[in-house]
Amino acid sequence: MTARVRFEDVAVGDRLPARSKTIRREEVKAYADASGDQNPLHQDDAFARSVGFPGIIAHGMFSMAHVTTTLTEWLGDPAALMRIRVQFRAVVFMGETLTASGEIVARDEGERRATLSVWAEVEREGLRVRVIKNSEAEVQLA
Amino acid sequence: MPLDPTLKGREYGEISLEVESDHVVRFAEAIGDTNPIYRDADAARAAGHPGQLAPPTFATVLQIMTSARVIADQDLGLNYALVVHGEQEYEWSRPIRVGDRLSAAPRIADIRARGPNEYLVLEADVRDKAGKRVVLARTTLLSRGTAAS
Repeated sequence: MTARVRFEDVAVGDRLPARSKTIRREEVKAYADASGDQNPLHQDDAFARSVGFPGIIAHGMFSMAHVTTTLTEWLGDPAALMRIRVQFRAVVFMGETLTASGEIVARDEGERRATLSVWAEVEREGLRVRVIKNSEAEVQLA
Repeated sequence: MPLDPTLKGREYGEISLEVESDHVVRFAEAIGDTNPIYRDADAARAAGHPGQLAPPTFATVLQIMTSARVIADQDLGLNYALVVHGEQEYEWSRPIRVGDRLSAAPRIADIRARGPNEYLVLEADVRDKAGKRVVLARTTLLSRGTAAS
């Protein structure tokens, strides 16, 4: 299978459909169990408070997975995602809504590939906070 | 105390992971990805894949195991309470599939200071049973405030 997005159909500046989800404690616990990252910062409120947070935070990799799913849903084929590099710049608290998206920043006509800037953000106290930024992905288009 | 820069290039023993169907399903559920090709071999075959796939970031399961191995190295002197996951990169050669036996020997690719912080870059070249690369994982950990002043 190949991506359902054709190289000819993307232009620099195009944005991906944004994908949002509200972060729930049960999902973060399920992620801890499925990924093997049992750091108490993601499960134990008392521990999280002891290191200066108001409560537990989501795993950075949990937010990265959301960015990745946003890309693969758009591509229509996970095999079309070749590379991703993300920077974790802020934490995500329970109950916050995480929105991921991306924008085409370069195209390679010979290889029919595109490079995207990708990000994830939450709205906090009326401000949009980018928790993943300065990040990029490379995809193989049809 | 600063990290020992002479440990740049140190390699650790190989760690392996069998990719099992129920584990992949639990992972896909946890990240909220509903694609049927992560749940059902027939759905994956109908989409042109040889069998049930794992979501791309399933690589994280092995990456966490390899990072833990490095972090536990007493010679490195990492204070885990000061460590933050700064950056993560994956470069896939092919999707991860159920039935894969993935192995990786992590190595310290770089240790550098910037301002008050130190950056520890770990690389794990994840290969299948045939020895072919599946994904390269590059993890940057930030050790806050430990650089020599």
